[in-house]
Amino acid sequence: MASGRRILIAGIGTHWGTELALRLEREPAVEQVLGIDTTPPLAALERTEFLEADIRSPLLARLVPATEADTLVHAGILWYPEPGKPKRVLHDVNVIGTLQLLAACERSPSLERVVVRGSAAIYGCEPTGPSFFTESMAADFPLRTRFQRDIGELEGYFSNFARRHAHLTCCMLRYQPEIGPGLDAPIARYLSLPVVPTQLGFDPRLQLLHAEDATGALLAATLAPIRGPVNVAPSGSISLSRALRLIDRPQMPLPHPLFGPALAQLGDRLGAGSLYGDAVRLLRYGRGVDNRRLREELGYEPKFDAVGAIRDFAAADHGMRLVSMPGIGSVLDRLAGTVR
Amino acid sequence: MSAAAESASIPEIGVRFLRSVRSAVDGGADPVTAAEAASADLPKSLRDAIERMARRLRGEYHEDEWGFDEEFAEAAYPFFELLYDQWWRVEAEGAGNVPAHGRAMLVANHAGALFPFDASMITGAIMKEHPLPRWPRFMVLDWAFSLPFLSAFMRKVGGVPASPHNATRILEDDGLMMVFPEGVKGTGKPFADRYRLQRFGRGGFVEVALRTRSPIVPIAVVGSEEIYPKIADSSLLARAIGAPYAPITPTFPWLGLLGLIPLPSKWRIEFCEPIDVGHLGPDAADDRQLVFEISEQVRETIQQKLYENLVKRGSAFI
Repeated sequence: MASGRRILIAGIGTHWGTELALRLEREPAVEQVLGIDTTPPLAALERTEFLEADIRSPLLARLVPATEADTLVHAGILWYPEPGKPKRVLHDVNVIGTLQLLAACERSPSLERVVVRGSAAIYGCEPTGPSFFTESMAADFPLRTRFQRDIGELEGYFSNFARRHAHLTCCMLRYQPEIGPGLDAPIARYLSLPVVPTQLGFDPRLQLLHAEDATGALLAATLAPIRGPVNVAPSGSISLSRALRLIDRPQMPLPHPLFGPALAQLGDRLGAGSLYGDAVRLLRYGRGVDNRRLREELGYEPKFDAVGAIRDFAAADHGMRLVSMPGIGSVLDRLAGTVR
Repeated sequence: MSAAAESASIPEIGVRFLRSVRSAVDGGADPVTAAEAASADLPKSLRDAIERMARRLRGEYHEDEWGFDEEFAEAAYPFFELLYDQWWRVEAEGAGNVPAHGRAMLVANHAGALFPFDASMITGAIMKEHPLPRWPRFMVLDWAFSLPFLSAFMRKVGGVPASPHNATRILEDDGLMMVFPEGVKGTGKPFADRYRLQRFGRGGFVEVALRTRSPIVPIAVVGSEEIYPKIADSSLLARAIGAPYAPITPTFPWLGLLGLIPLPSKWRIEFCEPIDVGHLGPDAADDRQLVFEISEQVRETIQQKLYENLVKRGSAFI
C-alpha cells in the first residue's frame, strides 16, 4: 500500500456515516473517502466522493470492486426508522443489505479490512445472567425482538464471511445505544420528555455511549481494526432513576405491562418515536457490556463513562420540561441553606 | 438561639419552625423564602438530612457499576440491624476470618423458604463485628431480578444476579463475593431436612475461586431454617407465578401478608478459617477431581460447624 488509505463507507447518509467521513477527511493517512447510500451525507464533505446506490441492489457487486477501497465500513445498520428509511424497510436494509455488501466484498481484491457498526442488542436485555457481557457471550440467550433477530442474522453472515476470508481483518462493533448533546435518537427524545414514563418497580442499569465516543471508536476501528467482535460501551453503568435525576426529569412509573403500549401510543405524539427495537426490554432490565477489549485491544479509551455521558447530555439539554413546577430538590436545597 | 435549637425536642423544633414560617408569610414573604429563612434555626443534623435528600434528588450520589448504592444500603441498614439485634439476637463468631482487604469468596448454607435473610444477616455480622468492615456482594437467585421492586432493591443493597461471570468480575476487582452454592435446593427444602446441606451444585464456585485465586471463607448460619418452616409446597402456585417453588408455612399463605413476618428464631453465624486455594494456580480450575474435592471440603466444614452451633445455640426460639 504505497499511497494512502482508500476507505469506503456504506451508509454515509446516516449520522454515523457522515460523522466518520468528517473525521476521516482530517486524517493525513487517508487518501480517499468514498460513501454509498441512497440519501446524501448529512454534512458538506470536501474530499469525499458520494456514490448514490442502494446497498440492497445487485449493482453493488460491480460498484464496490470499482472503488478499489482497502477498507469497507458498514455504518448503515439502522436501530430505528429514519427519514427515507421507514419501519418496513429496516429488516431489508439491515439483513439483505449487509448480505449484498458482503457478497460484493468477495469480488474486491483490493479489500483488506471490513468493519461493521453492529449492536450490543445481540446480548439481549436479561434480568438474569452476566451483568457485563463479554464478546464471547453472544449466544447465551434467545433472540427475542425483531431487531435482535436481524442483528443475530447479520452477525451470523459476517462471522461466516470472516471465516471464509481469513486474509481479511473483519471487525464487528457491538454498540450500546448512543446519547449526546444534539444527537436526535429515540432514547434521547425519551429522556427529554417533560415527564418520563418508567416501568413501576424496575430500575435498569444502562450504559449509554456518548456520541463523541461512538464516532471515536468507529474511527479507531476503521484505521486499525482487530479481528472479531468488540463491545463499544462506556465504562461503568448508571441506573435509569439516577439518570433521570441528573437530567432533572420527573418519572411517571407505569405498571410494566402497560409501558410498551403506552409508549407506542404516546411516543409518536411526543416525538419519542415508538422506541423501536429492544428499548422496552432495555428500559426494564437494562444491559451492561464489558468494554475491556475496546480499551485494551482496539486501543480506544472512551472519554465519557456511563455517568459522564448522562451529565454531558443533561448540561446541553434543551428539551421540554414543566417549568412551572418548582423542583422539590431546589426547595430542599434552599431549606438546607446550600444555595445562597 | 441555635444552641437552644440543638437541645430542643423534635415537636418543639417543628412548632418553632412553623411559627417562624407563618410570621414571615404574614409579613408578605412567599412560603419557600419564609421556610428558607426559618430553616436557619433548625438543628445541624436536620439540615444535613435535608441537604442529603436534596442532593440525592439531583442525582448527586454514587452508584458503582453493579448498581450498588452505599448511601441507600446505609439507610436500609437500621432495619436489618433491628432484625439482627432484637428479632433474631444474632451471635456472630470469627468475623475476623473475613480478609480486611483483597478478594475473598464467602460460602454459606442457604435457608429461609419465603425470603432468605441469611445474606443480610451475614452482611450485618461483618458490619458489626469486623474491625475493618466493608460491604460484601451477594449472589441472588436469577428469578428475583425479573421481579419489580425486589430487583431494584436487591441491586441497590449489593445483590448481583447469580452467574459465575459476575462472581469472577467482583473477585477480580478485589471484592467480597458471598455465594450460596446450594441455591434453590437449600431454600426450598422441607423443614424436616433443616441444616442438612444439599448438593453444592457442580462446584462452580470453586472453579471461580481457583481462577481468581481467592481464599474461600466457609460460613455456617444457624437459625435461618426456623424463620419460615416450610411444611409443604404448592407446585400449582409455583407454576402460576413462574417461581422455582412456592412454600407453604404454618403462617403463609394463611395469614396473608402477616404470614411474611419471619419467626423470631435465635441465630448463630460462624465464619470459619479461610481455605487458601491461591497456591494451586488458575489452571487447577480445569481439574474436575480437585474442584469436587475442594467443594466437598467446604461443604463438610460448613456441615460440621452447623452441628456444633446447633448444640451451642440450644433451644431454637428462646
